[in-house]
Amino acid sequence: MQLLDIRNLTIELDTPQGRFPALERFSIKLAEGEIHALVGESGSGKSLLAKAVLGITDRRTHVRADRLNWRGQNMLAMSAKERRTLMGQEIAMIFQEPASCLDPGARIGTQLLEAMPKMKELPWWRRRSQRRALAIKLLHKVGLKEHRSIMREFPWDLTDGEAHKVMLAMALAHKPQLIIADEPTTGLESSDQAKIFRLLDKMNKLNGVAILFISHDLKAVARWADRISVLYCGQLMESGRSKKLLEHTRHPYTEALLQSALTPGSSRARKSELPALRGGIPPLQHLPVGCRLGPRCPYARRECVKPPVIRSQSGHAYRCHFPLGEDKENNG
Amino acid sequence: MSPLLEVRDLYKHYKKSGGWLNREYKKALMPISFDLHQGETLAFVGEAGSGRSTLAQILSGAKARSGGQILLEGQDLQSQNRKQRSQLIRMIFQDPSTSLNPRRRIGNQLEEPLLFNTDAGPEQRQERVIQSLTRVGLLPEHADFYPHMLAHGQRQRVAIARALMLEPKILVADEAFSGLDTSLRAQCVNLMLSLQKELGLAYILMSHDLGLVRHMSDRVIVMKRGKVVEQGDTQAVFEHPQHSYTKRLLEEQFLQIRR
Repeated sequence: MQLLDIRNLTIELDTPQGRFPALERFSIKLAEGEIHALVGESGSGKSLLAKAVLGITDRRTHVRADRLNWRGQNMLAMSAKERRTLMGQEIAMIFQEPASCLDPGARIGTQLLEAMPKMKELPWWRRRSQRRALAIKLLHKVGLKEHRSIMREFPWDLTDGEAHKVMLAMALAHKPQLIIADEPTTGLESSDQAKIFRLLDKMNKLNGVAILFISHDLKAVARWADRISVLYCGQLMESGRSKKLLEHTRHPYTEALLQSALTPGSSRARKSELPALRGGIPPLQHLPVGCRLGPRCPYARRECVKPPVIRSQSGHAYRCHFPLGEDKENNG
Repeated sequence: MSPLLEVRDLYKHYKKSGGWLNREYKKALMPISFDLHQGETLAFVGEAGSGRSTLAQILSGAKARSGGQILLEGQDLQSQNRKQRSQLIRMIFQDPSTSLNPRRRIGNQLEEPLLFNTDAGPEQRQERVIQSLTRVGLLPEHADFYPHMLAHGQRQRVAIARALMLEPKILVADEAFSGLDTSLRAQCVNLMLSLQKELGLAYILMSHDLGLVRHMSDRVIVMKRGKVVEQGDTQAVFEHPQHSYTKRLLEEQFLQIRR
């Protein structure tokens, strides 16, 4: 069964200049145990999507959708309280800067115990010790061996990597079916990044947890995710199985992301000019007409002032008038 | 050719505890020596606490060294001589949105180093501002903008322009590209490389992104807890790492990409 089923989700933001769509008609389906990566640069609306799924949007965001279902239940019809319990127990979120998500005035142990399940099935005198035992077990699981000192410390005593792992332990407390990880590795040391990747991978393999992985780095998630969706300026640019998306890239934007990425093992000549898109990411209030990538696209033609529609070929969807592979077929 | 910058046994200690007799020091940077030639890029790689930021701060004059020698074009660089240093070594910071003053126009901010360090007149300063803005691919009109009116990638360009104002010989970039989006980062890397070719600048690059280091640098120095672990030509080090720490760093970055 589909775990998460979103169809035509539109998120609009109120700004002093009026209301603008930050995410337009976005659809995604997530099966159990699947890793789906959302890739996009800043301003593409990927973090907003995560917040909309959890239902923690603020007053200036307006969420509309044809369908926003969690295991067949309509999430838009739920009360705030129902969504809150869903968020804690079945969907877990790891936020962008975990160190700033922890309460600076409380010890890690207190915050961690607060996140543990209530354990109503146990007699009341055993609950406390059992919750503590679970908290310690989770800390060990995420790779923090010295639970005694960690639980006594305050958030600012921890390094970024440790704070991250504490957040992960909190997220795992209720055995969620879906973890939404919003840029969980940005700003971390490479060794910590590797550890977080390994942990999430283990969760996925052993417990069958589905992961919605939000990232700005296409190369980093490419081999890891089952499916990838590339977002730009609030629109889906390309989506499909990751292997297919990488080998038969259809959209110029995906191509540009892949080409401008730098890897230690790449064969590109040193100090050579990198292929880069012209210009900057347009702000929400000044989105171009037609294709959103139009003004920056190296292959743009006259037809690109008309907005392209999503075309789909055996699960590989793309939004472009002149997709890359097709062009070659027509000419040659 | 004699090197542009020579660093001899530079080190930095912080006082940790104790009184006069049993004083203990935290060794943030062990004695380090290296040369930097014109038009060359030297990269420092390492995890947090490896001492690269300390080194960047000492070189740019934000921190005093505990000992050692820095020779700039054969001349001894004094710890206190800000004027001499600030003209030849400039720094690009990590986050342009916090390193630029939000309440001053771009033009004023670019002008400031000229105001403090040279005796150029107002017209001359204006000319130099426009010249350096166009050099980094911005328009002369951007001088009247405030930092918040610019996009993130443009702000980093302004930061580069500000570093270039005094026509330095060496630029120190401490994680200058890590906060940028992929397509903007590629633009900035291209800009830095073309400036290097054009002006013969030498770069000192501090980064944890080994892909970036591979692309931009000629030589690399791998550091761990303030100590130099391995150094050499970037390509040689990346293809045949000798030290286990370098191997681990490389493996971790590969792990994410190749699964």
